[in-house]
Amino acid sequence: MATWIATIIGIVAFTVLAPIVGCLLDGVDRKISARMQGRVGPSILQPYYDVRKLLEKERASVNTVEGTYIACALLFALVAGGVFFSGGNLLLCIFVITLSSLFFIMAAYSTRSPYAEVGAHRETLQVMCYEPMVLMMAIVVFQASGSFDIAGLFSLDTPIIATTFGAWVGLLVILTIKLRKSPFDISSSHHAHQEIVRGITTEMSGPTLAKVEILHWVENVLFMGWVGMFFINANPISIAVAIIVAVLVYLFEIWIDNNFARVKWQAMFKIAWLSSLVLGGVNIAIIAFI
Amino acid sequence: MQLIGFLIVFPMLAALLLLVIRANAARNAIAYASAAIIAVVTLFVFGTNLGTEAVYFEFSSGAIDIICTLISIAIGVIIIGYAVRYRNIITLVLGIAQLAASLVFEFAFAHGVEVEAGLYMDSLSLIMAFIIGIVGSGICIYAIGYMEDFQAEHADERDRRPVFFAIMFLFLGAMFAIVFSNNMSWMFTAWEITTVCSFLLIGYTKTEEAIRNAFRQIIMNILGGIAFIGALYYCAIGLQTLSFAEFLQIGTLAPVMVVLPVTCLAFAGMTKAAQMPFHTWLLGAMVAPTPTSALLHSSTMVKAGVFMLVKLAPVLNVCWIPSLMTVLVGAITFCLCSFMAISQSNAKRVLAYSTIANLGLIVACAGVGTAEAVWAAIFLIIFHAIAKSLLFLCVGTAEHHIGSRDIESMDLLFDRMPRLARLMMLGIMTMFVAPFGMLISKWATLVSFVETQQVALLVLLAFGSAATFMFWAKWLGKLSGIAGRPENVEKTVHVSEWIATYVMAGLIVVCCVLLPLISEYVVMPYVAGVNLNAVATLSNDILWITSILAAIVIIVLFAGLKKSSKSKQVNVYMAGITVDSDDRSFRNSLGGTTKATASNWYMTEYFGEKRIKPIGEISCAILMVAAFALSFAYFMALI
Repeated sequence: MATWIATIIGIVAFTVLAPIVGCLLDGVDRKISARMQGRVGPSILQPYYDVRKLLEKERASVNTVEGTYIACALLFALVAGGVFFSGGNLLLCIFVITLSSLFFIMAAYSTRSPYAEVGAHRETLQVMCYEPMVLMMAIVVFQASGSFDIAGLFSLDTPIIATTFGAWVGLLVILTIKLRKSPFDISSSHHAHQEIVRGITTEMSGPTLAKVEILHWVENVLFMGWVGMFFINANPISIAVAIIVAVLVYLFEIWIDNNFARVKWQAMFKIAWLSSLVLGGVNIAIIAFI
Repeated sequence: MQLIGFLIVFPMLAALLLLVIRANAARNAIAYASAAIIAVVTLFVFGTNLGTEAVYFEFSSGAIDIICTLISIAIGVIIIGYAVRYRNIITLVLGIAQLAASLVFEFAFAHGVEVEAGLYMDSLSLIMAFIIGIVGSGICIYAIGYMEDFQAEHADERDRRPVFFAIMFLFLGAMFAIVFSNNMSWMFTAWEITTVCSFLLIGYTKTEEAIRNAFRQIIMNILGGIAFIGALYYCAIGLQTLSFAEFLQIGTLAPVMVVLPVTCLAFAGMTKAAQMPFHTWLLGAMVAPTPTSALLHSSTMVKAGVFMLVKLAPVLNVCWIPSLMTVLVGAITFCLCSFMAISQSNAKRVLAYSTIANLGLIVACAGVGTAEAVWAAIFLIIFHAIAKSLLFLCVGTAEHHIGSRDIESMDLLFDRMPRLARLMMLGIMTMFVAPFGMLISKWATLVSFVETQQVALLVLLAFGSAATFMFWAKWLGKLSGIAGRPENVEKTVHVSEWIATYVMAGLIVVCCVLLPLISEYVVMPYVAGVNLNAVATLSNDILWITSILAAIVIIVLFAGLKKSSKSKQVNVYMAGITVDSDDRSFRNSLGGTTKATASNWYMTEYFGEKRIKPIGEISCAILMVAAFALSFAYFMALI
C-alpha cells in the first residue's frame, strides 16, 4: 500500500514541480547558449512565454489522433518521473519513459508528413541507440546497491559512483541523444538549421506543440535525476552533491551542443553502441567478478 | 483424469472425422463444434484445478504402449515414404535410424521398466493446456474462414482441406499428450507426432519451396528426436525409470547422474524451439497457410520445445554443462534474431524472427533455472502465445485483403482496415512495450539474470531489447499513418476470422490487466512446487501499477483515437508546393508532379542476414558440440 501512496504523491509532485524546473533549465540553456555564441539571449522565462503563447493558439492538426498520442506521451513521462522521484523502481521508470517515447514517435508517424516521417524513423533509431545503455544503467544500479528501488540509494554508506563510474560515463554519452543536443540531434533540432525542417515535430502546432515542449522539460528533469542518483548515499549532503553534479553535467552538455556539428546516423549508432558495450558491459563484468 | 484423457483423445477423434468427411458445410460445423468443446473442457479443467500442486494419476496400460509403438512405426513409415518419394537421402537415413532406435528401445528395453503414474497434472501443464485448448482451438476456428479464401485463390488445385483440418486437430491432441504424460516414452511418441504434423502442414501446398522447407524441418527435428531417444535409453538402462517426475527428482538431487540425458533432452527441446543453428526450419515454415504458422509459433510445436526446457529448469539450475549450453544458445539467439528482424520487410518473417528471439529468451531463462527465471519463462510463454497468435491471424487476414504480407504495403492500414489495424497494434504493443505482458516478462528475465550475475546474458539482453524496440516501433508507425479517406476493405472478412482475432485480443486484455492474479494463482503454484521458498520475481505492487497503465493504453487505443474532432484540419507541410495532400504529391522543379514516399529503415549493412546469421550459427553449433562432448566425457568418467 505504501508504494501506491508514494507513487501517487510522487506523480502529483512531479507534475507540479518538474515543468517549473524544466522550464527554468531550458531558459538558462538558451541564455548560456546565446552567450557562447556572442548574443545577449532571451530572458530566462522565455520558454514559459513561448509555451503560454502556444497554448493560446487555435487547435489545428493534420489528423484527429496526433494530439491524443502526444497527450499520452506527456502523461507517461509524468508517471515515469513520479515513479523515479518517489524512490520507486528504476526499471519501471525506464520502461514507462520508453512508452512515452513510443507515443511521441507514433504521433509523428500518424501524420504521414514526409518530414515528420523521416524524423520518426530517426527518433526510432535514436531510441535503439540509447536503450542498451539505459538498461545497463539500471543493471549497475542493482549490482551496486542490491535493489532496483531508488529509495534504496539513500541508505548506502558510499554512493554507487565508486563502482559504477564507467557506466556513468556511458550514460553521459547517450544523454546527449536523450537531451536532443548536437551532435546527436538528428531527429529534431532546437536550432533552426535542421535539414528536415523540425523533423519529428514538423506537423505539431499550437497546444500540441506546447505539450511537446513541456514533455521535453520534464524529460530533462528526469534524466538529470538519473545523472544525480549515482552520487546519493545516506548522508543528506549527498543530495546537494547530486544536484551540483547534475547542473555541471547539464552545462557540459550545453558546451557540447554548441561546439559539435551534427553527425550522420551511422556515426551516432556506432558511437552509442560501442561506448555502451565497452563502458557499460565492462562495468557490469567488473562488479560481477570482483 | 478422465477429462485429461478426453482432452488427449477427443481432438484425435475429431481429426479422424474431419479426414473422412468431405462436405464443406459439415466440416465447418464439426470444426466449430470440436474447437468449442475443446475450449470449454480446457476451461473447465483449468478452472476446477486452479493452483493445483502436482497430481500423479496411477495409470499404466499395455494397450497404450502398443498403440505408441504402432504410432512410432507409422511415423517412421510416413517419413521414410516421403523421403523415398522426394529422393531426400538425409531424411531417409535419419528416418530409418530413428525408427530402428525406437523399435529396439520399445521391444528390448522399455518393457522391463514400468511407469505407474502414466499421467500427471501440475500448474505448468494446466497453463500449457490453457494455451493449447484456447489459443490452439481459436486458430482452428480462424482456419475455417481463412482456408475458404485460400482455396478460392488456389481454385485450380485439389481441395485437400480435410487433411489440413485433420492435422490441425491431431496436433492439438498430441500437444495435450506431451504436457500431461509422465511416461517419457508416451511423451516421446506425442513429440514425434508433432514433428510429423508440422512436416505435413509446412509441405501442404506441395510447391517446390514448401517441400524443401518441410524436409528441412523434419531433418532438424529428427536430430532432436534421436537425442530424445538417446535420453530414453539412458533413463531405461542407467536409471531404471521412464517416469519424467522421477527423472527430474534424480536430476535435482544427483546432477552428476543425469548430465548426458539432460543435455540430450535440452538439445531436443532446442531443436523444437528453433534455436540457432536450427532456426531456419521455423523461418521456412511460413510458406504454409497462415493458420499453420500461427499454430506452430504460438500454441504448439515450438512451445513443446520450451515446455521441455522449463520442466528441466530445476535440473539445469544445478547441472552446469547443459545449463551453460542452453543459457548461451538462448541468449545469442535472442540477440541476433532480434537484430535480423530489423532487416526484414516481410511481416511473417519479422514475426518468425521475433518468435525465435523470444523462444531464445525463454530457453535462456530455463537454463538459468532459478525460481525467478522460471517465473519469467512461464510469463513469456503465456504472453508470447497469445500475442503472436493474434499477430499471425491479423497478418493473415490483412494479406487476403490488401494482397500483400509486406510491411511497406500496410501503409494506411489504420484507415483501410480500422478494426484490424487496432488489433494488430495491440498485438505489437503487447510484444514490446511496458506495461504489456511481454515486457513485464522480459523485465522479470532481467531481474533473474541480474540476481544470478549472468554478465553475458545481461549484455545480450540489453542490446537485443534495443533492437526489438526498433523493429516493432517502425512496424507500428507504418500502421498508424492516417490520410484522407481510403476505401474500407475489411467488410469482407470472414466471421470466423473475427471470432478468433477477438478471442486473442480479449485474452491479451484480460491477461495484461489481471497479471498480478495470474502470477499469484496460476504461475506461483508451479514455481513454489519446484522451489519451496520461491517468491514472485516482480512484486504485486508493481504488477498492479503496470496493470493500470495497461488499461489506460488499451482504452486510448480502442476508444481514444477518434475519427472526428473539433480542431481545424490542415494539410501536411510540403514546403508550400503541395499538389495533393492525402496523396503526398508536390510540384517538382520541372513543373510536374512528384509523389513523396518514405519507406522504413532496414539497416541491412549492419543487421542483414548475410552478416549476422553465420555468427549465430557457428557460435551456437560450437556451443552444442562442446556441451555434448563434455557430457559424453562426463558419462565415460562416470562408468
